[in-house]
Amino acid sequence: MKRLIGAVAAIAILAIAFWLMQKDKFEWHIAPPLPLPEVPIDNPMSDAKVELGRRLFYDSRLSINGTMSCASCHIQSLAFTDGRARSIGATGEQHPRGAMSLVNSAYGSRLTWANNLLDRLEDQALTPLLGDNPIEMGMAGRESEIVTMLSNDALYASLMREAFPAASNPYSVLNVVRATSAFVRTIVSFDSPYDAFLRGDVDAIDASAKRGMDLFFSERLECFHCHGGFNFTDSSTHADANVDRVGFHNTGLYNIDGNGAYPADNTGLFDMTGERRDMGRFKAPTLRNIAVTAPYMHDGSLLSLQEVIAHYLRGGRELTEGPHAGDGRLSPYKSEFIRGFELSDEEHADLLAFLHALTDQRVITDARWSNPW
Amino acid sequence: MSKPLTIIVFFFFGLSACSRQEATVSIPFAATIGGQAVGCQGLHAAFRMTDLRFYVYQPTLHRNDGTSVSVRLHENGRWQRDELVLIDLEDGSGDCRNGTRDTNNEIIGNVPVDEYQGLTFSIGVPFERNHADPLTASAPLDDSTMHWHWRSGYKFLRAGFETANDGFWIHLGSAGCLGTVQNIKSCRFSNRFDVTLDDFQLGDEITIDFTALLSTSNSIDGTQADCSSGPAEETCREPFTVFGIDFDTGEQVSEQQLFFVGQH
Repeated sequence: MKRLIGAVAAIAILAIAFWLMQKDKFEWHIAPPLPLPEVPIDNPMSDAKVELGRRLFYDSRLSINGTMSCASCHIQSLAFTDGRARSIGATGEQHPRGAMSLVNSAYGSRLTWANNLLDRLEDQALTPLLGDNPIEMGMAGRESEIVTMLSNDALYASLMREAFPAASNPYSVLNVVRATSAFVRTIVSFDSPYDAFLRGDVDAIDASAKRGMDLFFSERLECFHCHGGFNFTDSSTHADANVDRVGFHNTGLYNIDGNGAYPADNTGLFDMTGERRDMGRFKAPTLRNIAVTAPYMHDGSLLSLQEVIAHYLRGGRELTEGPHAGDGRLSPYKSEFIRGFELSDEEHADLLAFLHALTDQRVITDARWSNPW
Repeated sequence: MSKPLTIIVFFFFGLSACSRQEATVSIPFAATIGGQAVGCQGLHAAFRMTDLRFYVYQPTLHRNDGTSVSVRLHENGRWQRDELVLIDLEDGSGDCRNGTRDTNNEIIGNVPVDEYQGLTFSIGVPFERNHADPLTASAPLDDSTMHWHWRSGYKFLRAGFETANDGFWIHLGSAGCLGTVQNIKSCRFSNRFDVTLDDFQLGDEITIDFTALLSTSNSIDGTQADCSSGPAEETCREPFTVFGIDFDTGEQVSEQQLFFVGQH
């Protein structure tokens, strides 16, 4: 009898444990064979944390003068970019580079334009929040203001307790960063017409986009070498990845001195490593939603997708006047895949049609990622 | 360890502590240019300080017989811990727009009562403590204004000034690091430097003289020439000589020209 009771108890405990595990399992809304994002072990996902992060993401009280939130530079309708060539901080300082799309940043093996060290959203978040060169949100040295704001706000008080139930005092910048990162990690896009086509809806993209797709993945155009894979960038990773895939590339955008120099405030990976071969090397951004994230390149110096195609078609950009004059096509540091190609007018239109087929209307409109205030 | 030995060891240490009297010493710092004190409330049109903060590591006093003693730092939960001191000579007012209100102008700690001649310390945070998460680090490494979120590690020293028509700031720290933020393996450019002040005696003030930094920085022609220690930032090359650091290697090759004893 005792044994029977023991067995029943054991089964009950297992069942409860299983139920608890299922209950706490975060629902990504990502269907196989698409991979799940990698999540840092010290910042597990939960609905409460994501909801808190969404509030924080849209809260301009997290800036030095109350004028700027994360969403100021990461606007949902623009696939979480800001439409500017170079972003502007809370106090008016201009960043040397443009705000990158946050869509699928959960899959980024490295974050931002040209940083070989940043591999977690939790670490990246510190730069916009606390950095002072340039000032973005400008909260360095003002952490106590953030903590006071959070603990005096009834909504945050309950959200922070829910999101961090084990913490005796959940009010910290660390938890702000964790929650915001958890929210950003949920901004995933796999619902473009192209994705529907991949899932078997052969009519999801038209004939022109299909021809453009073939061009995109051709050795003639070489686009996919850097913009390949499920996320259209070679700097991608996921929960089951077993190699650290990181790519930085010089696309021949500048060649100021004939020796491949880029403008001094934007030398790419060279600024991090000081190795000449890293001059002008930037991360290939995801091309998902690329049609809504103009202007293009790290400094927004190409205004349209047509200009981007023209740049790659020529095999590098030539600037004939101004302080940055030079022929990028001749840069010694240019990627071997930027060789130039020819396109008929029809092919040009087809390639554009394919790029437009990467726009996921859901990610740029879904209320899950909209302003909750 | 067996019990008798433990007792003997405790006895020995207890005895040595009693036999040598300790005194609390303060080693103060002040910012100057050419002998004139400077602060955030700019008085000189030709030079207005905008920033001055730095990490002092392993302050050590020397005796004439060649022996030396580490200053045993008072741990106050804010500025000092484990041989590391954050000196902050700006108060966020006036021209110090990127500054913080709190200031700390001294190293404070205990040393055995003795005659001392000479002080040495390093500017920087040692590698093994330089790449921790600033949000979980203990003081004085919990100061987010000193952390370099995108380059990883801390700004060992940040200094800045404005001149009549231009300005300059420098953030000194390790660069060319390899690995990832949570797991930095090494940095090609250490960019730390040692300070040796042979004339120092207890009671002296250490002055940070901006003269050399002003003259080596390209800060009079109105063009942007700041330095954030990038291995490729040529604007750092001349200012680095003030620290005695060779810009091409990140190693110190000569005497620094920033810290002096008394009025300089």
